[in-house]
Amino acid sequence: MNSKFAQKFSRLQSRLREPQWRRYGMLLLAGKLVGVGLVVLLSMFINPGLLGSHAYAADPVLKANDVVNPINTMWTLVAAFLVFGMQVGFTMLEAGFCRSRETVNVLMECIVDTCLCGLLFYAVGFAFMFSHGNGFIGLNWFLLNGAPATYEATGVAFLAFWLFQFAFADTCSTITSGAMIGRTGFVGDLVYSVAVSGFIYPIIGHWAWGPDGFLATMGSAGNFLPWVGTSFHDFAGSTVVHTIGGFIALAGAIVLGPRLGRKFKRDGGGPMMPHDLTIAASGGLLLWFGWYGFNPGSTLSAMDFEGIGRVAANTTLAACAAGLTAMFYAYLTSKKWDVSFTVNGFLAGLVAITCPCYWVSPGGAIILGGIAGIIVVAGVELLEYLRIDDPIGAVPVHGFCGIWGTLSLGLFACGKYGSTGPFAPDHTAPLTGLLYGGGTTILVAQFIGSATITVATFGVSLAVMYAVNAMGILRVSREGELYGLDLHEHGISAYPEYVISSMGRPGGMSAIATSTESIHSHPTH
Amino acid sequence: MKKIEAIIQPFQLDVVKDALIAIGIDGMTVSEVRGHGRQKGHKEVYRGQEYTVDLLPKVKLEIAVTNARFEEVIATLEAAARTGKIGDGKIFVSDLSEVVRIRNGDRGESAL
Repeated sequence: MNSKFAQKFSRLQSRLREPQWRRYGMLLLAGKLVGVGLVVLLSMFINPGLLGSHAYAADPVLKANDVVNPINTMWTLVAAFLVFGMQVGFTMLEAGFCRSRETVNVLMECIVDTCLCGLLFYAVGFAFMFSHGNGFIGLNWFLLNGAPATYEATGVAFLAFWLFQFAFADTCSTITSGAMIGRTGFVGDLVYSVAVSGFIYPIIGHWAWGPDGFLATMGSAGNFLPWVGTSFHDFAGSTVVHTIGGFIALAGAIVLGPRLGRKFKRDGGGPMMPHDLTIAASGGLLLWFGWYGFNPGSTLSAMDFEGIGRVAANTTLAACAAGLTAMFYAYLTSKKWDVSFTVNGFLAGLVAITCPCYWVSPGGAIILGGIAGIIVVAGVELLEYLRIDDPIGAVPVHGFCGIWGTLSLGLFACGKYGSTGPFAPDHTAPLTGLLYGGGTTILVAQFIGSATITVATFGVSLAVMYAVNAMGILRVSREGELYGLDLHEHGISAYPEYVISSMGRPGGMSAIATSTESIHSHPTH
Repeated sequence: MKKIEAIIQPFQLDVVKDALIAIGIDGMTVSEVRGHGRQKGHKEVYRGQEYTVDLLPKVKLEIAVTNARFEEVIATLEAAARTGKIGDGKIFVSDLSEVVRIRNGDRGESAL
């Protein structure tokens, strides 16, 4: 049987090679097609309904919500996909700035944080954060049970909104691992990620973004601090995502301590070398790209098209300004055009604009972005002075500039922009900040909200990190760290074919690190 | 027979290779190495912090030559690799006791 088929097949092959047989084949094929066409034509005369359409009743009149809700949901989903795309950016950024010996560990932590976050945010996180309960915590919709078809007044499909918020939670969760690269045990990372994605981020986030969160309802009679006069505003999460993430990262970095062999500037040392700046810089740009979902998507409404455009423009301008100011400020101190500061710079601008993006003018966005660029460079220097090893600058970018962005709303909100009415969630009413004659009301509210969340986050996460450390699983063993996290935890190095040799060493790098710059042999199979 | 090890600047490799081929030296082994001399490297700045680059990238050439030719080879190498600046490198010469061509088992000078 097989050989007959093989014979026919090889005969077909040899025939295809001869032009005369090919022409004959084409002719046969054309003839068959004409035949089929004739049959179809004939059948249409016999039975006209075969391919034609019947007459239908007139289409029902479309009501506004039939169009508005689907479009808003679509927009939210597209934005959610973009925000999820930021995971690639984070992975590349973190991998690029760390050493090659801990790259696989970084990749694994990013991927696993994402997977854990999805399940936790489904099970309890979304419930804690976005359901009704009390001012501190949401108490409904665990495992998304009993959820309505759309979320609150947005009209966005519930699960689409869940996905959008999952992407935000994932961003926060990934930020936290940034300052803990290179010495965190993998199991310890799993444990603290559960704490972050399941509890710290959702519960503290509820205060600002929950429908009855005490910071979201602050400033009016019957609520928290009625004398403030306005609630805490955080459009897309400078505080909720970035400050929380940044300060959890700081707590982790403090409890962990620096990587072995790391000597700080004040002790005559310097940074550990990045191993792939191509990936790092490209990752940063991917993050910028994903931010176009992060900020504009937070309108949750395609109907507010002016708002979306303005938010996207403000996001862009803040990033541009921050990248440049960071680069120039770094040049002043070091006489070099530093790529890592520039990448940190535009990321800082993006973080800073995340809170006020809806309410500031493009000019305001440029100024507050420019200031963020300087804050981030100063922040990196500060952490170096405090002997805190933050390989990628996660704390200055997300923590410090998250705070600045939140406060800057009180300064730069220009009073012209808002969207109230049936298509807009309440929090997008116009706001006027100090520099536009609106007084200090908003600035005070922003300060209270930012301070509350920062202090609470830092305190709780310190406790969690110390607890995980006490279990002995937060920091990897000394031998494991010297051997290299990739081989110790994951059994493979990121570049098993290449010899890993030492790069230009930081001045004064101790003998410990010398012995670890060994040549990794090709794994034997 | 002599073995010549030359440590040179990476950007001089093409010049040196062409010069050696021009005088009829057909075989060489090239490897990328790192090292420093008396200046112990130099200082750079990354991320606002000064660090020492004391293991500078260099290229090492290893050539095996007959006793008759080695002075000529050294002179060519030296001339081709020299830029006159710090970091030009060094040439080490050692005696070679035996050479074997693996393909056909030739030994001694005929294997060079």
